[in-house]
Order: sequence, then structure tokens, then C-alpha cells
Amino acid sequence: MKNSYIGQAWLVVVLSLCFGAALAAVQTTLQPRIEQNKLADTIGQIPKLVPGAAGGELQRVGDQVAYRAMDASGQQVGWVLAAAGQGFADRIELLIGMDAAAARITGLYVLDQKETPGLGNKIVDDAFCAKFQGRATEPVLVVTKHAPQADREIEGITGATISSESVVGIVNAAVAKFREAPKP
Amino acid sequence: MDAATQKPENVASAPVAVAPAIHIAPAPHLFGGVLTTRRMMVDVLLALVPVLVASLWMFRLYTVLQLAICMVSALVAETVFTKMRGRRPTLGDGSAVVTGAILAFSLPATAPWYVGFIGAFVAIGLGKIVFGGLGQNIFNPAMVGRAFVLIAFPVAMGASAYVAPTAGLDGLTQATPLTALKMLGQSTGLLPLFLGTTNGSLGETSALACLIGGLYLCARRTASWEIPAAAILAVAAISGLLGVLGPRTGWTLFHDLSGGAFLFGAFYIATDPVSSPLTPKGKWMFGAGFGALVMLIRRMSGYPEGVMFAVLIMNALVPLINRWAIPTPVGGPVPVKKTA
Amino acid sequence: MSQDGPTPLERFINGILPENPVYRQILGMCPTLAVTNSMEGALTMAGAVAFVLICSNVLISLIRGLLKPHLRILVFTLTIATFVTIADRVLAAYMYEMSKQLGPYVPLIIVNCIIICRCEVCASKQGLRAALTDAVGQALGFTLGLASIATVREILGSGTWFGRWLGWRVIPEAAPQHWSPWVVMVLPPGAFITLGLLMGAVNWFAARKAK
Repeated sequence: MKNSYIGQAWLVVVLSLCFGAALAAVQTTLQPRIEQNKLADTIGQIPKLVPGAAGGELQRVGDQVAYRAMDASGQQVGWVLAAAGQGFADRIELLIGMDAAAARITGLYVLDQKETPGLGNKIVDDAFCAKFQGRATEPVLVVTKHAPQADREIEGITGATISSESVVGIVNAAVAKFREAPKP
Repeated sequence: MDAATQKPENVASAPVAVAPAIHIAPAPHLFGGVLTTRRMMVDVLLALVPVLVASLWMFRLYTVLQLAICMVSALVAETVFTKMRGRRPTLGDGSAVVTGAILAFSLPATAPWYVGFIGAFVAIGLGKIVFGGLGQNIFNPAMVGRAFVLIAFPVAMGASAYVAPTAGLDGLTQATPLTALKMLGQSTGLLPLFLGTTNGSLGETSALACLIGGLYLCARRTASWEIPAAAILAVAAISGLLGVLGPRTGWTLFHDLSGGAFLFGAFYIATDPVSSPLTPKGKWMFGAGFGALVMLIRRMSGYPEGVMFAVLIMNALVPLINRWAIPTPVGGPVPVKKTA
Repeated sequence: MSQDGPTPLERFINGILPENPVYRQILGMCPTLAVTNSMEGALTMAGAVAFVLICSNVLISLIRGLLKPHLRILVFTLTIATFVTIADRVLAAYMYEMSKQLGPYVPLIIVNCIIICRCEVCASKQGLRAALTDAVGQALGFTLGLASIATVREILGSGTWFGRWLGWRVIPEAAPQHWSPWVVMVLPPGAFITLGLLMGAVNWFAARKAK
């Protein structure tokens, strides 16, 4: 017994079983809460991104992740589209709110970014995100260095041209793809 | 060891020792006490006079203000830090003044006071004293300070900080030439770039002033001519090649040479004897690498100008270059002893 | 055996300053550098490490009689990984924002050398009381290390101290011509510079005291 494999490793086996059981218990207890946290991160943004929306549900469109934004009576009032792309430093992840026909942008929220603090990370500010509100999705948006004179112009952040252009580029690409995709 | 004459340490400390009965000192045995750290630093300050004139003409009082902040802060930092380390005061060698001046000339005109202040403290403290003082530092102190404040204060130091329409100076209303090229695709004329009537860091705008001061430094042998020569050749070659491959309208290799801080960096910063290689061969490598990195950063990175990072990267490579560029002694290479 | 080594109380005190994990043993550098740009992140990390350290030290001390020498590292790792996973899940469930900010650094506690070092050096050879006081002392020392670095970085980098939890603003928000937070302190270079300077300061004081 002393020299058999079991004799050597019984402690490891027993510990593994105990730890496995403990982890399973922790996981089952906490999983619903964690899932809820994650959903709240995106679904919770929907009412802010689409006016009149009370909640939403996940709806894949092609290979894009989108959420149907519903009002209190369950009527669809718009879309929230998840989009991501390369920024100045790292990937930028966005949520884009649109009306039901995907013709106008109703809101923009930055889920995740690692742009330069003090310059590029101003893309998360409401001051920048609000500039996208009410813009038509056609023609594509462009970044300008001055106050916008046309509907398609978005004033970039001073000193963070690349970050501003990245966000606008991600929005343009994702929205164009979404508009062309057949919706279920 | 011809390069040892350019190492300020050996020479500056020599006359201090009390004369013993018999002189036993390592080579070089011939020096007249002329080539001291102090003389070299005074030379650099003299060579900076044309740059100062061009800068005063272009940026007026802003130049005076930044120079005063940086130089005074550098002197205070030197006093405080040498005292903390319990060393003899080294204010007299003038190196702190030069570091402060180079730092000031590499800042935007309207940078707030704390940029120069903190930059100078970081330059002297983290760039020089923590390594053991002048002669021991791996990196050019002024560039360490500038890199720190560039990352610390992107709003006050980034490309947009150079444009200050409310400052009341013509030069400060447009973007710097390299930013204009990178972001807007606009080229600046060669004559303004050469004379320095463009926007930019305080000391970098005038290619003419940098050339005059730089040639003086090289003629006095305070700066090694190999480094700027190699850097200019490298930039000219790369820029010329890129110009042939994909021409940009109105932007030639002469624009690349005289635009931005390249000449200022090549003559005043890269030639710092402490943080550059010892041998002429090594200096050629150092200069060429510096020029190539400047072009790489200008064309391929998010930054419009790359002199500062190019200097710091090449500084880090100096120990390696020194190993590569060991000169062959008279009488052929030293035979390698076989060790087990 | 235990009569030769330091008493439990000495172990406790040793962990805090004389054998501080960050400044003296230079262990656990990854979280020290990565999560110290705010007090909240640093203290959450320190709390998670303390939980894992204390739990695994106690457990290893309890089963120390059963350990086989050649399988001990495996048992240590298994124990540590379990408690780290528990800590990670609890953070994700109850402190979701903080868990998102700390990202991979919570699972990375598994490879934090402080814990396996204490298991090996102390818990696997000492009784429960010694192991417990040792773990608490080391955890406090680690907390002290993280908090000191985070204090410097958060005050200089953001002008706040406990800015997210308590909203304390140390340096008033000034116009850019008067003062500005040092962005570099929030970024990784600030971590290296701060750690180096603080470690230098600790050594300087220690050398002065020794004289």
C-alpha cells in the first residue's frame, strides 16, 4: 500500500474531490448573480441608448451581436448593436443605439477601451458620445477638427484624432454591415 | 583610448587630487587641463546661442520664461539631490544648466510652469543622479525628463499643445509642420522650415540656427562630428528612398532633414558624450541608428516626431555598440586566451 | 522544532515590516505593479490575496502531517488555485465593477509567490497558530506595500485618494495652467518608478537606522 500510486497520491485525489465539490457549490450559488451582472452591463444600457426602451433581448444578426430594444409593452423601438475595433492603444468596444429602421443613431456607449488617459479616453465622456445622437446612418460619418457644419460631421477630440477616428470608423463599419444584413 | 579624453570624469577629477611624490596614473598622460567638463558645457551653451536667437525671434518671452523655469529647476534639483546622496556639489561643472537648457528648448512655448519644473527634477533625479551622477547616466537626462512629462501631461505636451491661437504670436496659430504633414497631409515650405518661421518646440524650429551651433560644436570637438553626419546620411537615405517609392507632394528629403527636432537632436542631444558610444566606429552606428529610428517613428507611429524616443532607444543600445566597436589595437587583435 | 524558530507573535510582526513581502522579499511584483493605480484596486487585490493566503496557510498547516515531500508543491498549488477561484467568483458576483477592473490579475493570484512561499516556508512545517499569525502578518505587509504605492500613484495620477469609494480629492482640480494630474503615474511606467523610489526610500531609512 505504501508504495502503490494510490498510497502516494491519495491526498491529492481526496483534496481534488473536496476542492471540486467546494468550487461546484460556489459556482452554482454565485453563477446567477454573475450572469445578471454581465447582462446588466449591456442590457442595462439599452434604455439610455434607445429612447423609450425599457429592456431588450439578445438577437444575433449575421455574425453581429445585437439587442432588440423593447418598450414597456414589448413593442420594438430600436436596436442596440455591439461593435468593436482597433483604437489607438487597444480594442475599443462600443454599444450603438439605433431606431427600429436602423436609419438614425440614438446613442453611443463605450463598453471597454484602453486609450491614453487624459486624451483618448475622453471618448467615454458623455460630451463625445452625445455627438452621435440623432445622426443619420447614411451617409457615413466623418471626423472634423471644427464644430460640425453638416449632419454627417462629428467634431473630434482635440489631441486625440486617432481615437476619435477609430470610434467613428467602428460605428460606420458596424452600422453599414448591420443595415445590409437580413434581420430575423 | 583616444575617446577617454572625451569622458569628462577622468579629466575633471584629475586636478583635484593632491600631487603625490610619484605620478602613477592611467592613460591618457597628456592633457592640458583645457578639456574639462566645464569647458565642454560652456561650449554647448555658446553653441545654443544661435538657437536662442532664433527662438527669441519666434517665440519672444515664452523662450525666456521656459528657459528660466527649466534652468533654475535643474540647478535646484542638482543641489538637492547631490546633497541627499552626500556628494560634493557639482553645480560648477555646468551640466545641470545644459540639461535644463536642452529640456527647455524641447518644450512647447506655452507649456505650463510645472511641465518644465517637474521635467527638470526628473531629468536630474531619475535621469542622472540615481545612476551615480554625471558620467554614469545611461540615458540623456534632458530626454528622460522630457519623456516623463510627455507621458505625464499629454494635454500640455501633445501635438495639440503646440497650437495656442490666444497666445498672440503668429507662429503659434498653426500646427507644427510634422503634425500638419501627419494629420492633414499638408507640406510646409522649405524656406520657413530652414529659417525657423514655423511652429514647434522652442529650439527646434530653425534648421539654420541648429546648423550654425552644431558646426561650432563639431569644430570645437565638443561634439563628435560622426554622430550628426551619420544621422543626416541615414535620414537622407531613408527619406530619399521613401520619396522614390511613394512621393508626397511638396515633401522631400530636405524637408525631413530640416523639419521637426531632427537637427537639434542630432547636434545637441545625440552627441552627449556620456550617453553616446566611445569609438568613431560606434559613433557612426549610433548616429545611423538614431536617424533610422527618427524616420521610423515619424512615418510608422502615432507620434509626429521621434527624436526623443530615438535618442532614448539608441542610448539603451550604447553598451552593445561599444562592444561591437572595440578598436583593433596597434599590432593586430589581441589573441583570445582559451579558457576551459 | 517550533521552539527554535520565531514565536507566532514575531512571525506576525516580521511580516509587516522587517520581512515585508513587497519591499523586503520583493515577491508578488505582478499585482504590485499592475493594480496599484488606485487605492480601491490595490485594497481589493490585497484583500483577495489575504483571503487566499490565510485560507491556504491554515489548510496546509492542518494537513501538514499527511504531505509527501515530492507531492507537496502539487498540493500547495491545488489548494491555492481553489481559494483563488473562490475569491474570483465572489468578486465577480458582489464587486462586479472591481472584478472587471482587476481583470486577469485576480486569477493570477495563483502564481503570486508570496502564498506558495509562505506555504513552503511556514505552513507546511508549523502548527496552526504559527501558520495563521504568519499569514496574517504577511497579508498585512502586502497590504501595506500595495497601499503605499497606490497612495503615491493615485494622489499624483488622479489627484484623489479612495476617489471611487469615498470621493476624497487630495489635490484640488486646478486649471491646466496651474496644475495637472500626472497621467504617467496611472500608466505602467508610473508603477515601476514609484516602486523603485519607495524601495529606495525604505532601504535608505533602514540603512540610517542601522548606523
